[in-house]
Amino acid sequence: MHAIDANPVIEFRDVSYRVQGTDVLRGLSLQVAKGETLVLLGRSGSGKTTTLKMVNGLVSPTSGAVLVNGATHTDVDVIRLRRGIGYVIQEVGLFPHFTVSRNIGVVPKIEGWNDARIQARVQELLQLVGLSPEIASRYPHQLSGGQRQRVGVARALAADPAILLMDEPFGALDPLTRDELQREFLSLQRRVNKTVVFVTHDLREALRLGSRIALMEAGKLVTVLSPHEFVKSDDPWASAYVRAFGDGLESAANRGTS
Amino acid sequence: MSGIGMNANKNDTSRWAATRIAALLTAVLSLSMLSSCSPSHEDRIVVGSKNFTESFILGELIAQQIEARTQLKVERRFYLAGTYICQQAILAGRIDVYPEYTGTALTAVLKQSAASDKAEVYQRVKTEYERRFGLTLGPAFGFNDTFAMEIRGEDARRLNVKTLSQAAQFAPQWRAGFGYEFMERPDGYRGLVATYGLHFAGEPRIMDLGLLARALKDHQVDFAGGNATDGLIPALDLFVLQDDRHYFPPYEAVPIIRKQTVHEHPEVARALDALNGQISDAEMQQMNYAVDAQHRDTADVAREFLRAKKLIP
Amino acid sequence: MNVIRFLLQNHTQVLELTMEHLWLVGLSTAFAMLIGIPLGIIIAHRPSWNRPVLASANIIQTIPSLALFGFLLPVPWLGARSDRLAILALTLYALLPIIRNTYAGIRGVDAAVIEAGKGMGLTESQLLFQVELPLAVSVILSGVRIAVVISVGLATIAAAIGAGGLGEFIFRGLAMVDDRVILAGAIPAAILALLADFGVGWLERRLRPR
Repeated sequence: MHAIDANPVIEFRDVSYRVQGTDVLRGLSLQVAKGETLVLLGRSGSGKTTTLKMVNGLVSPTSGAVLVNGATHTDVDVIRLRRGIGYVIQEVGLFPHFTVSRNIGVVPKIEGWNDARIQARVQELLQLVGLSPEIASRYPHQLSGGQRQRVGVARALAADPAILLMDEPFGALDPLTRDELQREFLSLQRRVNKTVVFVTHDLREALRLGSRIALMEAGKLVTVLSPHEFVKSDDPWASAYVRAFGDGLESAANRGTS
Repeated sequence: MSGIGMNANKNDTSRWAATRIAALLTAVLSLSMLSSCSPSHEDRIVVGSKNFTESFILGELIAQQIEARTQLKVERRFYLAGTYICQQAILAGRIDVYPEYTGTALTAVLKQSAASDKAEVYQRVKTEYERRFGLTLGPAFGFNDTFAMEIRGEDARRLNVKTLSQAAQFAPQWRAGFGYEFMERPDGYRGLVATYGLHFAGEPRIMDLGLLARALKDHQVDFAGGNATDGLIPALDLFVLQDDRHYFPPYEAVPIIRKQTVHEHPEVARALDALNGQISDAEMQQMNYAVDAQHRDTADVAREFLRAKKLIP
Repeated sequence: MNVIRFLLQNHTQVLELTMEHLWLVGLSTAFAMLIGIPLGIIIAHRPSWNRPVLASANIIQTIPSLALFGFLLPVPWLGARSDRLAILALTLYALLPIIRNTYAGIRGVDAAVIEAGKGMGLTESQLLFQVELPLAVSVILSGVRIAVVISVGLATIAAAIGAGGLGEFIFRGLAMVDDRVILAGAIPAAILALLADFGVGWLERRLRPR
């Protein structure tokens, strides 16, 4: 099910990245279609985070091209590019001196939205991510880990970007909260239908959340498969992953509905 | 609805912080700038002096003269540590008038070579001070406090020396003592030894001017660089060697006044004019002696002098 | 007490010298902040400059203050007026604590916060003014506090070269061998230093991020 999209939202064309003598990425070619959730799966050092960061220009390829909506970030003003892309990271990175409301409203504010519009959007997003409205006036240090990451997601969605980048967003949370947030992510995706690139090392999470899984190892793209294909695959790396993760993967591949 | 109570005023943390800091800085800066922007002391005159007795006495004379003859309040900023400090203070307007010596002004401040003619030195200093610094030279007080190279009276009589040229042959047997400023000044130690070919025994001892005369008397030194108006000269039987080669320039004591002060308060200039030529060398020696040796209060000594001369009531 | 009576009797002069002192400290600290804070920000963002800048500021600090005043005396324009000279010297001495604390404050901001900010599309200056500086302001202020307290002390030495200020009382008192005059300079100077320490310290605590 590896269809070549005529108009991919994100495209990697033979991208390589070399830093201080090490090849972090080699010859990466990949496409992300509109509305899909592409999971970058791999272990630490596989290059998955670097790949993600190339989408919003935090990292620039040494060779090859990264195109977002048909343009590389050298053509397009990278600041504008980033404002149109939601970015969620594992440590969340909320501004500690801003209230939740102000944190969520960062991008709308610098984009010139008026205060009333921002306030309305904040309330809307809080509801969307399952937080009660009074959280708006609290500060990050007053929230739990799960609440903080929900705010992180709300912040990323504030200016209604078409693309969402998520770098192991639930990795620092306890299993129960992680499970909760994964389920909410799925229902959220059904509602807002963003193009998502999601980085994880957890196969269960990948199978559950991804429409396609791009398996990476040592800077190279090994294979791109749908969750079902992945579980049944003969590819040595894919099957190694499957073995490592043990049972119950079918149900994960079915989005935990069976 | 949200953000009531203490959270409300923390909402704009960065802007609030910036404003506070800006306010604090502005307050401190304006407070301090208000103080020193062109100090016009209104109806106050600040009199300065250097940190030795004679300067102290002259300062007191100036202060009391102004107090008696004008309506102005006088503030005393005495014991400023030297020519440079006084010069800086008057340039910055922190003091309005202080007593200086023409010879010092010529060589140490204007950095010109010494001259021996009293009138010429006075005129040159007056012109240059007006031109370069905007400072006015008042009329001289009347005495010449030039450097006095002293030896003990008994040595002068025994060796039959009267001049510095004659003393040169005995210098190698003598330990010399000088004040700090004399050692450093261009019209001081260096020129002296060069002009007269003096070679003292060992390095000269540097000591406080006030202690030199006693050190000479007590045989701690044998040759001391003091001042002509030192009260201890007659008291301790010290002999002043004649400057036969006219090395030392004249050091007439004069008041230095800020031009601005003269403009705003011409009565100050008039008050100081009245002191012109009023103090002889001997009279200055007496006043110095009264304060240094008899430990009398400087203000009293000054007042006594002014009253005796009928300058103040 | 004798000193108190002296201070009251000469209150105009005490006030005048205190104002001169504040002028020296205030102006030099302001200059040091204007130069030091931007410098600290620059080296925090470009770590390769970090060592030469901090090393230079450190070298300046090790020069004994009276010696520095002496070096600068022969410099034209600057040396002509000792208050100019004093202000320059005081500014130089205030630089190290301010640069170093600005650097530390900005580097101390959580890297995740910076990354999130960049990824969201904040420009460099937006990141600096809305995130980095507000989060670093407390540490920067502690550098300013150190600088001010040092300056109040150093400014007393500046009187030795004729720059005025409370040190003048101290030097005059020493020449006159009069304790009251010495204390009339030393006590207000100490009070100034304490007030500055307390005042800026209070501001520091208020602005500390949660």
